[in-house]
Amino acid sequence: MSPRDSAEVLRPFGLEPDPVIEHYKRDVDRTRLRQNLQRTVAERMALLEELQRLHEEARRAGAALRQSR
Amino acid sequence: MTDFGRLIGTLTDAGVDFLVVGGLAANVHGSGRLTSDVDVVYARGAENLKRLAAALAPLHPYLRGAPPGLPFTLDQRTLSTGLNFTLVTDAGDLDLLGDIAGGGGYDALLSHSVSIELFGRPVRCLDLPTLIQVKRAAGRAKDLEVVAELEVLLDESSPPPGEDRAARRPVEGGEGA
Repeated sequence: MSPRDSAEVLRPFGLEPDPVIEHYKRDVDRTRLRQNLQRTVAERMALLEELQRLHEEARRAGAALRQSR
Repeated sequence: MTDFGRLIGTLTDAGVDFLVVGGLAANVHGSGRLTSDVDVVYARGAENLKRLAAALAPLHPYLRGAPPGLPFTLDQRTLSTGLNFTLVTDAGDLDLLGDIAGGGGYDALLSHSVSIELFGRPVRCLDLPTLIQVKRAAGRAKDLEVVAELEVLLDESSPPPGEDRAARRPVEGGEGA
Protein backbone atom coordinates (compact mmCIF):
# COMPACT_ATOMS: atom_id res chain seq x y z
CA MET A 1 0.00 0.00 0.00
CA SER A 2 1.49 3.33 -1.00
CA PRO A 3 1.23 6.55 1.02
CA ARG A 4 -1.55 8.89 0.00
CA ASP A 5 -1.10 12.50 -0.94
CA SER A 6 -0.76 14.48 2.29
CA ALA A 7 -3.41 17.01 1.34
CA GLU A 8 -5.90 14.18 0.86
CA VAL A 9 -5.11 12.85 4.34
CA LEU A 10 -4.95 16.15 6.22
CA ARG A 11 -7.60 18.41 4.71
CA PRO A 12 -10.60 16.44 6.00
CA PHE A 13 -9.30 17.35 9.47
CA GLY A 14 -8.75 21.04 8.71
CA LEU A 15 -4.98 20.66 8.39
CA GLU A 16 -2.78 21.73 5.50
CA PRO A 17 0.46 20.02 4.50
CA ASP A 18 3.55 21.75 5.85
CA PRO A 19 6.66 21.54 3.64
CA VAL A 20 9.01 21.11 6.61
CA ILE A 21 6.97 18.27 8.05
CA GLU A 22 6.68 16.71 4.60
CA HIS A 23 10.49 16.62 4.51
CA TYR A 24 10.61 14.76 7.83
CA LYS A 25 7.96 12.29 6.68
CA ARG A 26 10.38 10.80 4.17
CA ASP A 27 12.32 9.21 7.02
CA VAL A 28 9.35 7.77 8.90
CA ASP A 29 9.42 3.97 9.05
CA ARG A 30 5.90 3.03 7.97
CA THR A 31 6.44 -0.69 8.48
CA ARG A 32 7.03 -0.16 12.21
CA LEU A 33 3.94 2.03 12.50
CA ARG A 34 1.83 -0.55 10.67
CA GLN A 35 2.97 -3.16 13.18
CA ASN A 36 1.96 -0.84 16.01
CA LEU A 37 -1.44 -0.22 14.47
CA GLN A 38 -2.11 -3.94 14.52
CA ARG A 39 -1.61 -3.92 18.29
CA THR A 40 -4.22 -3.04 20.88
CA VAL A 41 -3.77 0.07 23.03
CA ALA A 42 -2.84 -2.21 25.95
CA GLU A 43 -0.15 -3.87 23.83
CA ARG A 44 1.16 -0.45 22.80
CA MET A 45 1.41 0.57 26.47
CA ALA A 46 3.25 -2.65 27.32
CA LEU A 47 5.76 -1.88 24.59
CA LEU A 48 6.22 1.66 25.90
CA GLU A 49 6.94 0.31 29.39
CA GLU A 50 9.37 -2.21 27.94
CA LEU A 51 11.12 0.56 26.01
CA GLN A 52 11.31 2.63 29.18
CA ARG A 53 12.92 -0.27 31.06
CA LEU A 54 15.43 -0.77 28.24
CA HIS A 55 16.25 2.94 28.29
CA GLU A 56 16.81 2.90 32.05
CA GLU A 57 19.03 -0.18 31.81
CA ALA A 58 21.11 1.41 29.05
CA ARG A 59 21.52 4.55 31.17
CA ARG A 60 22.52 2.45 34.20
CA ALA A 61 25.06 0.47 32.16
CA GLY A 62 26.50 3.67 30.68
CA ALA A 63 26.87 5.24 34.10
CA ALA A 64 28.59 2.10 35.42
CA LEU A 65 30.97 2.14 32.48
CA ARG A 66 31.90 5.77 33.06
CA GLN A 67 32.52 5.10 36.76
CA SER A 68 34.78 2.15 36.02
CA ARG A 69 37.15 4.27 33.87
CA MET B 1 11.28 5.69 35.78
CA THR B 2 7.69 6.81 35.27
CA ASP B 3 4.94 4.44 36.35
CA PHE B 4 2.38 5.38 33.69
CA GLY B 5 -0.26 3.04 35.04
CA ARG B 6 0.03 4.34 38.59
CA LEU B 7 -0.28 7.97 37.52
CA ILE B 8 -3.25 7.31 35.27
CA GLY B 9 -4.86 5.10 37.92
CA THR B 10 -4.37 7.74 40.61
CA LEU B 11 -6.21 10.34 38.55
CA THR B 12 -9.03 8.12 37.30
CA ASP B 13 -9.66 6.47 40.66
CA ALA B 14 -10.09 9.91 42.23
CA GLY B 15 -12.60 10.95 39.58
CA VAL B 16 -10.40 13.70 38.18
CA ASP B 17 -11.59 15.12 34.85
CA PHE B 18 -8.60 15.07 32.52
CA LEU B 19 -7.46 14.23 29.00
CA VAL B 20 -4.27 12.43 28.06
CA VAL B 21 -2.18 14.48 25.63
CA GLY B 22 1.49 14.60 24.59
CA GLY B 23 3.77 11.63 24.11
CA LEU B 24 1.55 9.14 25.90
CA ALA B 25 -1.34 10.10 23.61
CA ALA B 26 0.99 9.64 20.65
CA ASN B 27 1.75 6.12 21.89
CA VAL B 28 -1.96 5.43 22.28
CA HIS B 29 -2.39 6.33 18.61
CA GLY B 30 0.42 4.04 17.48
CA SER B 31 3.69 5.91 17.90
CA GLY B 32 6.57 3.80 19.13
CA ARG B 33 8.53 6.68 20.59
CA LEU B 34 9.77 6.64 24.15
CA THR B 35 8.13 9.20 26.37
CA SER B 36 9.21 9.75 29.93
CA ASP B 37 6.27 11.59 31.42
CA VAL B 38 2.50 11.79 31.52
CA ASP B 39 0.95 14.96 30.11
CA VAL B 40 -2.66 15.70 30.94
CA VAL B 41 -5.02 18.62 30.39
CA TYR B 42 -7.18 18.95 33.48
CA ALA B 43 -10.55 20.63 34.04
CA ARG B 44 -10.25 23.92 35.92
CA GLY B 45 -13.43 23.75 37.96
CA ALA B 46 -13.01 24.14 41.72
CA GLU B 47 -14.24 20.64 42.57
CA ASN B 48 -11.91 19.07 40.03
CA LEU B 49 -8.95 21.02 41.38
CA LYS B 50 -9.82 19.75 44.83
CA ARG B 51 -9.97 16.14 43.60
CA LEU B 52 -6.73 16.57 41.66
CA ALA B 53 -4.82 17.99 44.62
CA ALA B 54 -6.13 15.29 46.96
CA ALA B 55 -5.32 12.51 44.51
CA LEU B 56 -1.74 13.62 43.97
CA ALA B 57 -0.87 14.47 47.57
CA PRO B 58 0.16 10.87 48.46
CA LEU B 59 2.58 10.96 45.50
CA HIS B 60 4.38 14.02 46.95
CA PRO B 61 4.29 16.22 43.84
CA TYR B 62 7.09 18.77 43.56
CA LEU B 63 8.21 21.22 40.88
CA ARG B 64 10.45 19.37 38.44
CA GLY B 65 13.92 20.87 38.26
CA ALA B 66 13.40 23.18 41.22
CA PRO B 67 15.90 23.15 44.08
CA PRO B 68 14.78 21.02 47.00
CA GLY B 69 13.23 22.64 50.02
CA LEU B 70 11.03 25.24 48.37
CA PRO B 71 7.76 25.87 50.20
CA PHE B 72 5.69 24.27 47.44
CA THR B 73 2.42 22.51 48.11
CA LEU B 74 0.18 21.38 45.27
CA ASP B 75 -3.16 22.16 46.83
CA GLN B 76 -6.39 23.54 45.38
CA ARG B 77 -5.19 27.12 45.86
CA THR B 78 -1.89 26.49 44.06
CA LEU B 79 -3.73 24.87 41.18
CA SER B 80 -6.25 27.69 40.92
CA THR B 81 -3.62 30.44 40.90
CA GLY B 82 -1.37 28.64 38.41
CA LEU B 83 -2.12 26.96 35.11
CA ASN B 84 0.58 24.59 33.88
CA PHE B 85 2.72 22.57 36.28
CA THR B 86 5.67 20.34 35.43
CA LEU B 87 5.96 17.99 38.36
CA VAL B 88 8.00 15.13 39.66
CA THR B 89 6.09 12.65 41.81
CA ASP B 90 6.76 9.35 43.54
CA ALA B 91 5.32 7.69 40.42
CA GLY B 92 7.37 9.72 37.93
CA ASP B 93 7.06 12.89 35.93
CA LEU B 94 3.64 14.43 35.45
CA ASP B 95 2.73 17.57 33.52
CA LEU B 96 -0.56 19.15 34.51
CA LEU B 97 -1.73 21.49 31.77
CA GLY B 98 -4.59 23.89 32.19
CA ASP B 99 -4.32 25.00 28.60
CA ILE B 100 -2.33 23.98 25.54
CA ALA B 101 -1.31 26.05 22.51
CA GLY B 102 -3.54 25.42 19.53
CA GLY B 103 -6.14 23.56 21.54
CA GLY B 104 -7.21 25.45 24.64
CA GLY B 105 -8.38 23.95 27.87
CA TYR B 106 -10.24 20.82 28.95
CA ASP B 107 -13.69 22.04 27.92
CA ALA B 108 -12.53 23.01 24.44
CA LEU B 109 -10.66 19.76 23.93
CA LEU B 110 -13.23 17.34 25.30
CA SER B 111 -15.10 17.12 22.00
CA HIS B 112 -11.77 16.35 20.32
CA SER B 113 -11.04 13.36 22.50
CA VAL B 114 -11.68 9.64 22.32
CA SER B 115 -12.60 7.26 25.10
CA ILE B 116 -10.12 4.45 25.55
CA GLU B 117 -9.22 1.86 28.14
CA LEU B 118 -5.79 2.65 29.51
CA PHE B 119 -4.19 0.51 32.20
CA GLY B 120 -7.58 -1.06 32.81
CA ARG B 121 -9.41 2.21 33.30
CA PRO B 122 -11.62 4.35 31.09
CA VAL B 123 -9.67 7.42 30.05
CA ARG B 124 -10.19 10.20 27.55
CA CYS B 125 -7.34 10.82 25.14
CA LEU B 126 -6.88 13.62 22.62
CA ASP B 127 -7.81 12.39 19.14
CA LEU B 128 -5.11 12.04 16.52
CA PRO B 129 -5.96 15.04 14.29
CA THR B 130 -6.12 17.36 17.31
CA LEU B 131 -2.89 15.94 18.70
CA ILE B 132 -1.26 16.83 15.38
CA GLN B 133 -2.81 20.30 15.53
CA VAL B 134 -1.50 21.07 19.02
CA LYS B 135 1.92 19.60 18.33
CA ARG B 136 2.15 21.82 15.25
CA ALA B 137 0.99 24.84 17.26
CA ALA B 138 3.63 24.22 19.92
CA GLY B 139 6.17 25.04 17.21
CA ARG B 140 9.03 23.18 18.87
CA ALA B 141 11.84 21.90 16.68
CA LYS B 142 11.97 18.67 18.67
CA ASP B 143 8.36 17.95 17.68
CA LEU B 144 8.93 18.02 13.92
CA GLU B 145 9.79 14.32 13.70
CA VAL B 146 6.92 13.51 16.04
CA VAL B 147 4.41 15.46 13.94
CA ALA B 148 5.68 13.76 10.80
CA GLU B 149 5.13 10.36 12.43
CA LEU B 150 1.66 11.33 13.66
CA GLU B 151 0.65 12.48 10.18
CA VAL B 152 1.83 9.18 8.74
CA LEU B 153 -0.20 7.41 11.44
CA LEU B 154 -3.22 9.44 10.34
CA ASP B 155 -2.65 8.27 6.78
CA GLU B 156 -2.16 4.66 7.84
CA SER B 157 -5.16 4.57 10.15
CA SER B 158 -7.76 6.46 8.12
CA PRO B 159 -8.58 4.46 5.03
CA PRO B 160 -9.51 6.15 1.76
CA PRO B 161 -12.94 5.24 0.38
CA GLY B 162 -13.09 1.67 -0.86
CA GLU B 163 -9.94 0.46 0.85
CA ASP B 164 -10.11 -2.04 3.68
CA ARG B 165 -7.66 -1.44 6.49
CA ALA B 166 -9.73 -3.41 8.95
CA ALA B 167 -6.73 -5.34 10.22
CA ARG B 168 -5.47 -2.16 11.86
CA ARG B 169 -6.62 -0.86 15.18
CA PRO B 170 -6.74 2.91 15.08
CA VAL B 171 -8.09 4.53 18.20
CA GLU B 172 -11.56 5.55 17.20
CA GLY B 173 -14.33 7.31 19.00
CA GLY B 174 -15.20 10.91 19.69
CA GLU B 175 -17.62 12.73 21.89
CA GLY B 176 -19.47 10.23 24.00
CA ALA B 177 -17.44 7.33 22.62
